[in-house]
Amino acid sequence: MAKLFRFEKTSTMIDRYKWWEVIGIYAGIAVFLFFMLAPFIEGFLVSLKPLSQLFSTPYSFWPENGSFTAYRTMWESVPKFGWYIFNSLLISSVATMIVLVLVVPAAYAFARFKFKGMALVLGAFLAVSMFSGAVLLIPLFRLLRTLGLLNTYFAMIVPGAAFLIPSAIWLLRTYMMRIPAELNEAAYMDGASQFYTFRRVILPIARPGIIVVAIMTFIGAYAQQFIFALTFNSKTEYMPLPVGLYAYFGKQEVIWNELMAASFVGIAPALVIIFFLQRYLVGGLTAGAIKQ
Amino acid sequence: MGQLSLKSVTKNFGDVEVVKGVSLDVQDGEFVVFVGPSGCGKSTLLRMIAGLEHTTGGDIVIDDKRVNDLAPVKRGIAMVFQSYALYPHMSVFENIAFPLRVERAREDEIRKKVQSAAEILHLESRLQQKPGNLSGGQRQRVAIGRAIVREPEIFLFDEPLSNLDAALRADMRIELTRLHKQLGATMIYVTHDQVEAMTMADRIVVLNGGYISQVGAPLELYHKPQNTFVAGFIGNPRMNMLPATVEAVTDSGMRVTCLEQSLEIAVDVPQDQRAGLIGATVTLGIRPEHVVLGQGQVSMTVTPGVVEQLGQQTIGYASLPGSDDSFCFVLNGTQILGDGAEIKIGFSGADCHVFDSDGNAFERQIDLSNMTAALPE
Repeated sequence: MAKLFRFEKTSTMIDRYKWWEVIGIYAGIAVFLFFMLAPFIEGFLVSLKPLSQLFSTPYSFWPENGSFTAYRTMWESVPKFGWYIFNSLLISSVATMIVLVLVVPAAYAFARFKFKGMALVLGAFLAVSMFSGAVLLIPLFRLLRTLGLLNTYFAMIVPGAAFLIPSAIWLLRTYMMRIPAELNEAAYMDGASQFYTFRRVILPIARPGIIVVAIMTFIGAYAQQFIFALTFNSKTEYMPLPVGLYAYFGKQEVIWNELMAASFVGIAPALVIIFFLQRYLVGGLTAGAIKQ
Repeated sequence: MGQLSLKSVTKNFGDVEVVKGVSLDVQDGEFVVFVGPSGCGKSTLLRMIAGLEHTTGGDIVIDDKRVNDLAPVKRGIAMVFQSYALYPHMSVFENIAFPLRVERAREDEIRKKVQSAAEILHLESRLQQKPGNLSGGQRQRVAIGRAIVREPEIFLFDEPLSNLDAALRADMRIELTRLHKQLGATMIYVTHDQVEAMTMADRIVVLNGGYISQVGAPLELYHKPQNTFVAGFIGNPRMNMLPATVEAVTDSGMRVTCLEQSLEIAVDVPQDQRAGLIGATVTLGIRPEHVVLGQGQVSMTVTPGVVEQLGQQTIGYASLPGSDDSFCFVLNGTQILGDGAEIKIGFSGADCHVFDSDGNAFERQIDLSNMTAALPE
C-alpha cells in the first residue's frame, strides 16, 4: 500500500504520513472541493440540458440527450451578448489600469518614505475599504448625476476603481516593504535619482507583487461592476456581463440553460486573462539581492 | 587624489549622540580601517563620509573641498555594502554597469569598463548570470565591481566580509589587499573584526563610544596601545590586566610590585607625574602570548580551569586569587596540560604595559622601527 505514495520515500520526516492518513487528507480535500464546485457543476449540467428537462419531475441530475445547443442559441436570444462581455472586460481592465497607475507609486511611497500623517492616511484607507460600495450608492448616484456622468462607462469605472485602491495600496505596500532599503542606498551611491531607482530597480523587483495586485483588482472590478452598472447605467450598449445576463430573464420564462451557458462563456475571457497574468507570478525575485 | 579630512564630525540621532567629535586625516592611497565594538559609531561615521547620513556638526573635506552637503556621486566615492545590495533582477554585467548607465555612458565604453572590472575580480565567466546564482564570495566581488567601475577616488567598505565563512573571508582579505595595491585608491574599511583590521590596514582607527580611541599602524596599536580599551581590543585572546603598586619611577622606567613580586618595566613617565605615582595603584597589562611556562620575572602557580587545544597553540584560562577575571595564557601547541594539574607560569617586565588609574598608557620604551631584524640576504 505504501508504494502507492511514492513521496513517502523522499519527503522529510515531518511530511511523512501513514497511508490511511493520506487517504483521509485527499478525501477531505475532495469533500471541500465538491462543496465549492457543486454549483458550478450543476450550472454546467443545466447548460447542457434542454429547457423542458429542467422542470421535469422527478428532477434528473444527469442530462438526457445532453447537447451544447444552448451555447449556440444563446447568441441568437441575446444578440448583444458579445458586446456585454466586451463591456465587462473593458470596465475591469480600465479600472485595473487606473488602480495600478495610482497605487504603485503610492504603495512605494508608503513603504519607503516616512512622512507626517502617514499612519493616519493608511488608517483612513483601511476605514474607507470597510464601507462596501452599496452603502455609498445613493451619495455616489447624486454626485454622478450632478456631474452629468450617469449612463457612461466613466460612472461604472471610476467608483469601482476608487473602492479597490485602499486594499491594493495595503497589499502592495506590504510587498514593497520587503524590498531591502540597501538597494535604494546603493542606487543613490551610484548617482541614481529617486525616479531612476524606482523605475529601474524597484519596479522590476516588485513585479510579482504588482501582478498579484492586478489580478486582485481585476477580479474585484469584475465582481463589483454589477451593482454600479445596475444603479448608474441604463443604456443597453454599456451594460456589462452581469447585468447583461438579465436579458435571459424573458417576460414569460427564464431561459435557464442559455443563462448558464452564457455565464460560462462570459467568465471565460476573464479566466484566460488571469491565467495569463499568473504565469508571470514568479517568486524569489529578490534572491541574491542581500545576504540573508 | 583621494585625500579625506574629518574635522570634529558629530552625529546625533534625536537625543542620542552617536559620533561625538571625530577628527582624522586620511592620505591619498591609504588603506584605513575603522574598528570598534558594535555601537561605537563606526558604521555611522562611514555612512556620513558616504553621504548617506546627514552630518550634525563638523566638516567632511575631500581634496580640500567641503562635501557635507554634496550627493555621494559628487564626492567621488563608491561604497560596498555589508549586505552586497545587488540588484537581483539584473545580470552581473548590468549590476556592474549600473553606475555607468546612470551617467549615460556610451555603450562601448560601458562594455570596456565592465570587462576590465570583471577581469580584475575574476568574474568574466559570470557576467550573464543573476546574483541569485552566485556564491557569497562572488556576490561580494560583484558588489566591489560596481564600486570600481566608476573609478572613484575613495572606496568605502562597510563590513563587507562579515557574512562570509572563515575560509572565504581569508581569501577575500587577500584579494582586497591586492585590489588596493592594484588600484592605488584610498580605501576606508569598517569592521568589528580585529584580524581584518590588523591584516589589511595601513592605519587602524579604533573607535569607542563615538570617540577615536587611537589611530596608528597595526603593529603600533599592538605594541603601544594608548589606553586599556585599545589594549584589550587589539590582540586575541585579549590582554590580561593585573593590579600593581608603583615602587619607584626613574628615567629608565618604573618599578612595580605585582603579585608580591617586584619587576622593572621600561616605560616613559613624564617628570611631573613621577612623585605622585609612588605608592599608587596602576594596571599592568600582559598579553597571553607573552606568558611563558616556568620561571619569569613574575611567576605564579595556577590551575587552568579551561584549556583550548588549537593545534597551533594551547590556550589556558586560570583564575587568580583575589580577581574575578580569568588569567589567559597562550603556550606552544604541542604543550599538553593535564586536567586540573597545577602549572607554573611567568612573564617578564619587557613585555608588560602599564596603565594609570584612568586607563591611559605610559608609553613603552620600544622602537618599532628596529623591532625586526633585517631580512637575510
